[in-house]
Amino acid sequence: MRNLLFLVVLIAHTSLLLAQESKMNNTEIAEFKAKINETSKATTTIHSNFTQYKHLDFLSNDITTQGKMAFKVPNMVKWEYTEPFKYSIIFKDDKLIINDSGTKSNMDLGNSALFKKINQLIVNSVKGNLFQDSDFTMSYFKSSKYYKVIFIPKDEKIKSYIASFILFFDKQQADVMEVKMVEPTNDYTRIVFSDRLINKPLDNEVFTN
Amino acid sequence: MKYLLISLSLLLFACASFPKKNNLERINSDTPTVINPYFSDLSMDYIYKAKINFAEKSFGGIFVIKKLGPEHHRVVFTTEMGNKLFDFSFIKDEFRINFILSEMDKKILINLLRRDFTVLINENPIILQQFQTLGDSIFFETRIKNNTYFYLRVDERLHKILETKGSKEKSDYIFTEIENDHAGKIKIRHKNIKLTIDLKAI
Repeated sequence: MRNLLFLVVLIAHTSLLLAQESKMNNTEIAEFKAKINETSKATTTIHSNFTQYKHLDFLSNDITTQGKMAFKVPNMVKWEYTEPFKYSIIFKDDKLIINDSGTKSNMDLGNSALFKKINQLIVNSVKGNLFQDSDFTMSYFKSSKYYKVIFIPKDEKIKSYIASFILFFDKQQADVMEVKMVEPTNDYTRIVFSDRLINKPLDNEVFTN
Repeated sequence: MKYLLISLSLLLFACASFPKKNNLERINSDTPTVINPYFSDLSMDYIYKAKINFAEKSFGGIFVIKKLGPEHHRVVFTTEMGNKLFDFSFIKDEFRINFILSEMDKKILINLLRRDFTVLINENPIILQQFQTLGDSIFFETRIKNNTYFYLRVDERLHKILETKGSKEKSDYIFTEIENDHAGKIKIRHKNIKLTIDLKAI
């Protein structure tokens, strides 16, 4: 019995170690960045399903929504929520185009510097091209399954809204698997991508409502 | 003198109460323990897709209400993409702003939202009087923060809350698609202010 317990503890400990993250060293960071830039340069369109988890500490369950995301160079992004409601939001030419179950509206992003910055982050994170941004302090981690980069805003106003922005990259393809936006209160929004199609032709009409 | 009399009678007429204007008959019967059960379950996460219209502007989003204890609710509104727009706590008579986006940080809007949510989450308002119409509809009269409200119950269920001033309706809160003490749809309308809130459970 004692041996069995020892074995269980050992296995638990080993699997913990396996899943553990470690900091990347400078060489690894340089290699990782080169890999991401290569992927990003070769990407003209992205088509992906996504599941969004909104975590609020006081709730029993995360709020789960699902949909499709489309991206086309240089900076067109459409988030189309299909479950449990229909809603789409297009980021194009500094504008937001919204279709809320049939109610259409345009919002000039210039009205909200904060949302503009968040959109820019989303575009860059979808492309995996965030490292040129001098607005963040970045730290790099790796595990057996993913690379992880934590972006901490330097601007105090943005920081009061989003404490950190965490991106998980697939180790093989070096593309974004997951985006996590953590609020100062530790509530967060997590977007997990699946069934990603790269460079599948996408009409510009996709980005109109 | 004649004009004064006319003015006085007009004033009296204008001040006629809501029950009088609507031919409601005052009754004496037991008051139910929970008048508004729609946000009363501690184990429930109440999640709604929301559309808020305020003075020509429209905000879509996700509306969250959670009961955290007796007379303690958290009310949060986020965009569909998860960005928080406001986060309020209601603990007994205390109102706390945990977060509000600077663009929405306007006293008039906060006061309106605060008033509407106070009404929405109030489970056991103190009933002053009860009235009945033909059929089974019962109106419970109450006061919340110096405003008069009538809670309309049909078939043992809360269907509507009316805020009144004199004989006139000022705002209404309508609950529909009700199942097991859960309101599938909630509409909040104001007669004098350009604020409407539509909630649909998701």
